[in-house]
Amino acid sequence: MRRNRKREPLRFGTVARSVVTCVCVAVIGLAYVWQKNQIYKLGDELKKREATLAATEKRNTMLAAQLAQLKSPSLLEWRCRQYNLGLVTPRETQMVRLYEPGVEWDTRLLPAVTQAQLQVQKQMRNQWTKAVAQR
Amino acid sequence: MTPLTHRTRALIVATTLSLAFSALGVRLFQLHVIRHSELAQLAAANRELVVHRQGRRGEIRDCNGNLLANSQSVRIVAADPSITAARAADVARQLAPLLKLDQSALVAKLSSAGRYVRLKTKVDEDTAQQIRALKLKGIGFEDQLLRSYPNGILASHILGFVDSEHRGVQGIEASMQDYLEGTDGYEVIERDRKGREIRALRSQDIGPRDGYNVVLTIDQVIQHIAETELEKAMAENHPQAGVIIVSRPKTGEILAMSCRPTFDPNNPGASPADARRNRCISDVAEPGSTFKIVACSGALNDGLVTLSDQFDCENGAFLYAGRMLHDAHPYGVLSVEEILFHSSNIGAAKVALHVGPSRLYNYITQFGLGRKTGIALPGEVSGIAHPLSRWNKLSITRIPMGHEIAVTPIQMLMAMNAVANGGRLMKPLVVKGIVDADGKTLLEYQPQQVNQCITPRASMLMATALRKVVTPEGTAPKAAIAGYDVAGKTGTAQKIENGQYVRKYYSSFIGYVPASDPEISILVSLDDPARGAYYGGSVSGPVFRAVAEQVLQYLNIPPQFNLDGNDKKVASLS
Repeated sequence: MRRNRKREPLRFGTVARSVVTCVCVAVIGLAYVWQKNQIYKLGDELKKREATLAATEKRNTMLAAQLAQLKSPSLLEWRCRQYNLGLVTPRETQMVRLYEPGVEWDTRLLPAVTQAQLQVQKQMRNQWTKAVAQR
Repeated sequence: MTPLTHRTRALIVATTLSLAFSALGVRLFQLHVIRHSELAQLAAANRELVVHRQGRRGEIRDCNGNLLANSQSVRIVAADPSITAARAADVARQLAPLLKLDQSALVAKLSSAGRYVRLKTKVDEDTAQQIRALKLKGIGFEDQLLRSYPNGILASHILGFVDSEHRGVQGIEASMQDYLEGTDGYEVIERDRKGREIRALRSQDIGPRDGYNVVLTIDQVIQHIAETELEKAMAENHPQAGVIIVSRPKTGEILAMSCRPTFDPNNPGASPADARRNRCISDVAEPGSTFKIVACSGALNDGLVTLSDQFDCENGAFLYAGRMLHDAHPYGVLSVEEILFHSSNIGAAKVALHVGPSRLYNYITQFGLGRKTGIALPGEVSGIAHPLSRWNKLSITRIPMGHEIAVTPIQMLMAMNAVANGGRLMKPLVVKGIVDADGKTLLEYQPQQVNQCITPRASMLMATALRKVVTPEGTAPKAAIAGYDVAGKTGTAQKIENGQYVRKYYSSFIGYVPASDPEISILVSLDDPARGAYYGGSVSGPVFRAVAEQVLQYLNIPPQFNLDGNDKKVASLS
């Protein structure tokens, strides 16, 4: 004869297993949804940042052109005239050129220094050294 | 009627449900298996979108890194009149001040027929943001790339311009198109129901590659000096056209190249085609007396003459092969040196007779005349140097004075550079290098020697003679610069119109400084100066001087003499 199962008490272990299983499934489901949600949120954030970056790059190129315009020799010259600044390039007669001994070792600093100039500088340095030695 | 039994009713329900589910199954099978590929494509088309992203065109910079051309993203503001027509007046009232357009014209556009109308192109990002903030329905934006030349007309003939497709049409924009052009990228995106991108579902993201930047040998400041002085010369002498080229003889680098008439590359269509032509490389003309450097260099190089050898200049009239050859001023016996600094046609013809047609033709080709220099600019022409077989009896006396031959200004400057540079003919260099967006150099163009035209000794002898051109006895005292060792040659060539020489002239001067160790060379040529004087020395000489003085100062090249012009410069430590 079959046993009457209605009369059997619930076993704790079985219930606990079921609850744990349900909770696990729920947690996994929720975690999946949460993760997906996070991915979408990050995607949106990324999109906003990309838009900001693109806008900044556009602005940057625009500002670069503006800067170039402001630095253009014709505009600077016009501004000088407009404000009566009296800024002009000094003439050769208004300049005193100083030759520093040793400049030949770093010609990159003075690209206009020619071999002839370097020779003059070497001679001058030798004269100066001799003069100092005589003193 | 016999009532249905419980079992029968259950059977009917079960059968109906089975049939219904079977029908659904069949339909599902049809949709998911049989028509899968077709429907998947339709679904993807609804959801997915391929967005093309245009690579930015590279920049053009001068030798010091100053920006000469770049590409900017701007907006096209467009409207859908089917939406805006109802409240066109209100929309126009809000948009007109931002777009700087006439309100009534805007109303007409906003209420026109159709579903698309462009309101304004080249709208900057800030203005676009302000319009977007108004949240006007039926107003949209499109991206547009705009090529910008911040310095306007400065170096316009070198830079060139681009067409509506953003492809180079002229100048560096055209010749360096392959480097400047960016590579487009694309994204495969998925959209939500409102058409917005779901960023997380972007399946492919191939970013665009910006074009490479081109660095020129041009110096913005020297270019400005050349342009300003050419502008002054144009205003003073009213020529039809004018060119100035500044270069470094030792390397062939072009520091400035200026032409008049000119154009604004930001709006090239506003100028006639004639103004957009780079005359430095595309216009040929008889060089006139500047060409005497070729014949005399050849004679000195072959050792056929020395600077002190004398020739009878026949008092200004020399009959040869039945035709008379004249000098501008009558001269008696002149040395080779004097022939050069007095610019005697008869003297040059007699020197050339010593050289002979074959050798003279050889020197013409050695100096790179009659063929393209190979400058990295489109539209260069070869000039005309007839082969020896086409020379007539007069050619040997006419070619040395710059007749029967046609050259471009750049060819003539390179020939003078060869004389200045110990006989080494250099290829003109206008592009210094190619760099990427991060500033990393990808390609560097090195100075390139084409050939050795004459020996350094002949070059030195030529410099000795050409120095005298700018002395009071020479043809260009106005080209002399106090304190500097200048060498040069004037040229006054008669123009040919309809096959006849007319009383119009090309006035030119080509010089280099310091003559002992050339740092810069400058060519000035004015086409038909209309204010009385037309000699190269008196018209182009002062322009050369004005340009050279400023360039020397800018490049910090010290004078070679005391400013009284006597002794070598004495530098003192005290």
